[in-house]
Amino acid sequence: MTNDLTTWLDNLLAELDGISVRRTSRRRLRVEVASDALPALLELLRGRASFVHLSAISCVDWIDAGQFELVYHCWSYETQSLVSVHTRIPREPGVYISVYDIYTPAAFFERDIHEMFGVWFEGSPDLSKFILTEWDGPPPMRKDFDSEAWVNQHFDWQDYHPDWLKDLEARGGGIAVPPDEQRFSRRTVDET
Amino acid sequence: MTHIDQVPTPGAPLPVEIGVTPGAKRTNPFAQVFDELVRFAQSRSLFMLHYCTGCGAVELPPAMTARFDMERLGIQPMVSPRQADILLITGYVSVKTLKRVILTYEQMNSPKYVIGICSCTVNGGMYWQSYATAKKLNDYMPVDIYIAGCMPRPEAVIEGLRGLIENIRNGRADAWKDYYRRYDHYLGNQQRLFGADWQTPTDVIAEARHYDLFGPATLGAHTALLEQHQRPLEALAMRIEIPELMRRRSRADQGGTAQ
Repeated sequence: MTNDLTTWLDNLLAELDGISVRRTSRRRLRVEVASDALPALLELLRGRASFVHLSAISCVDWIDAGQFELVYHCWSYETQSLVSVHTRIPREPGVYISVYDIYTPAAFFERDIHEMFGVWFEGSPDLSKFILTEWDGPPPMRKDFDSEAWVNQHFDWQDYHPDWLKDLEARGGGIAVPPDEQRFSRRTVDET
Repeated sequence: MTHIDQVPTPGAPLPVEIGVTPGAKRTNPFAQVFDELVRFAQSRSLFMLHYCTGCGAVELPPAMTARFDMERLGIQPMVSPRQADILLITGYVSVKTLKRVILTYEQMNSPKYVIGICSCTVNGGMYWQSYATAKKLNDYMPVDIYIAGCMPRPEAVIEGLRGLIENIRNGRADAWKDYYRRYDHYLGNQQRLFGADWQTPTDVIAEARHYDLFGPATLGAHTALLEQHQRPLEALAMRIEIPELMRRRSRADQGGTAQ
């Protein structure tokens, strides 16, 4: 029965124009689709093909191509299989349409992606701050965000030979850090 | 010790000597005996609030229970910060967690001791590149003991706790006083992370006066900034909203007016 359904789904998706389908394993299907056709495909998967569970939306920053890749992972309890729908949107301005009207949990994932990548989802119910409530910098999961420079700018490092360590060092304790691995406070990245 | 009623201007020399210098003995021999007794009692009865933020928490159950048995040193877990003596922070402190840690720390009664377990509290550990975790815990609150390691074994935890006990007995574990004496420094680092409008419900400056720990570095540019943004705390209105109770009450009121 399950196998029948998956074959049927393969045949159905092969009929559609403008998408490329690749079966990566018995239970996983990778679908690539243009960004304007994605909501229609999800509508079809959810409404007609029993893929009622959107388990995640993930985002990949392809900075060299100037694109964000969005992956919608849809699970069907009946066929016990996963369809990953891949689409690419331009990195600038990074605006896409929300699928909240098709899958309600999308609001959660879209809010997360908006926070981490700065992608704006039109029609998503709430794109306010989510996990990084104290964050006022650029979206940190973007490839052009330099985490190390940010850290050097905003945090201080422990001294390597503070006074309180001298007792321990006299007793044979302490730490040995190679000079090229030592980090110093408020060091600019350019100096290295 | 003289009580200070007026706020000195920051940087100006203080009119009086503040408190007792750390480690100094009082001249009265009976007072010395009494101080030692008090310190002994303090060091042997410590309630510990463990704020388990990271993986280091895994090492605490063996340290607490039968195998290594913290309780033979007089250390017990405590559920509330107001009754705890030790604040034990096990592992990485994200910026969001740090807010809660500071709130917890400020609620504790003095004398209070902070122990940072794992490399993450010392210098960020394996999260040194992470934009979301604080690196040096002692930038934001005074730390008595660091127990380094990733993660430290329960033996190391016990060793660190014994070190703290030793420091308390010698009168050297007074890092908590530093929070009052140099509040401006700690507040400055907190504001650097949380923004200029950061405020806690605890009035640390008033507490510094209360403990006679008001020093020249208690106030400064950062506390001035705090005073600009500080909203006065108001007590919450006492309200009971239990539908059943409200209905019964209104019924009783109607009955009362009819008679």
